[in-house]
Amino acid sequence: MLQQDSNDDTEDVSLFDAEEETTNRPRKSKIRHPVASFFHLFFRVSAVVVYLLCEFLSSSFIACMVTIILLLSCDFWAVKNVTGRLMVGLRWWNHIDEDGKSHWVFESRKESSQENKTMSEAESRIFWLGLIACPVLWVIFAFSALFSFRIKWLAVVIMGVVLQGANLYGYIRCKVGSRKNLTSMATSYLGKQFLRQNTGDDQTS
Amino acid sequence: MAEAEESPGDPGTASPRPLMRDLKAVGKKFMHVLYPRKSNTLLRDWDLWGPLILCVTLALMLQRDSADSEKDGGPQFAEVFVIVWFGAVTITLNSKLLGGNISFFQSLCVLGYCILPLTVAMLICRLVLLAGPGPVNFMVRLFVVIVMFAWSIVASTAFLADSQPPNRRALAVYPVFLFYFVISWMILTFTPQ
Repeated sequence: MLQQDSNDDTEDVSLFDAEEETTNRPRKSKIRHPVASFFHLFFRVSAVVVYLLCEFLSSSFIACMVTIILLLSCDFWAVKNVTGRLMVGLRWWNHIDEDGKSHWVFESRKESSQENKTMSEAESRIFWLGLIACPVLWVIFAFSALFSFRIKWLAVVIMGVVLQGANLYGYIRCKVGSRKNLTSMATSYLGKQFLRQNTGDDQTS
Repeated sequence: MAEAEESPGDPGTASPRPLMRDLKAVGKKFMHVLYPRKSNTLLRDWDLWGPLILCVTLALMLQRDSADSEKDGGPQFAEVFVIVWFGAVTITLNSKLLGGNISFFQSLCVLGYCILPLTVAMLICRLVLLAGPGPVNFMVRLFVVIVMFAWSIVASTAFLADSQPPNRRALAVYPVFLFYFVISWMILTFTPQ
């Protein structure tokens, strides 16, 4: 995924150099759903911002906590039900059949060759950036709250980790699909990175 | 994770899951708790939005006026949160270990929604406390809390008891009893100062 993005970066740069103020922008860097992209990042980032600035924004611990919980819930609903579907064409949900057994379903939209590619790389980048960066931040906050003994914040931080981690896990499983499992994908990705670093070192030296 | 069913339509179409439908589903479940019948709605289409709303409401109402002082002995916001969710998770694990055939989130959903009568009790208690303390005041609150506690137990066992084999029902219902008892105790012993 990262390799693809770096190729797109060089492509976009060369096009920009070649033509200025072109109206024929490549489809890949157009954002098709600006409202969805905005809200995808808005709720997550504002939850983090409110958590960090709580002492300055309001003297009431309760108000901050309720605001963060509200933002985390809105973010969870928006990312799970709206932005994932619109921006990257993935969805996941839980289905309970008549026997009472629960199944988790992870789906990704198939790219049909006749239609134009409707997924934009810029949106995909925004989506995955927001999806991965924020749970990592909340995990860091969890450790910092634990070790600095601000225990009263631990409940809201754990809620952040759980909600955003759930979305992250769900969408990664959608992306990976049912053929491979996560560990084999992770090892192959790490292997590729390792190889790229080594061949890069060989070229520079 | 927080909802069960999925709306029709392909992924990538510009018709995302409507918000109103989710809100209506939550409202329907509240009705099912208030008038418990043997139906599968709570179990089949589970969602955790209702329990979250109820938990936050309950935690807000259990605040004293001097909310930010660390010296008061009443439950702080985070403690209520932890008690409700940790208690619900423990009961769910207990019922799964006893061999129940209900899924993790379904059980959380039922336990969370059945806090609704106790939240109503909390609201009534806060209104009654506006009239000033006294023995009559306490008797009224005690009566309300006992009635709502019984309602919660009846509602949750109507949904949960079927998932257990018959000889294990009492073992599965007892922690639910304890869970709602703790919440009722917090509500009953609440004083605004």
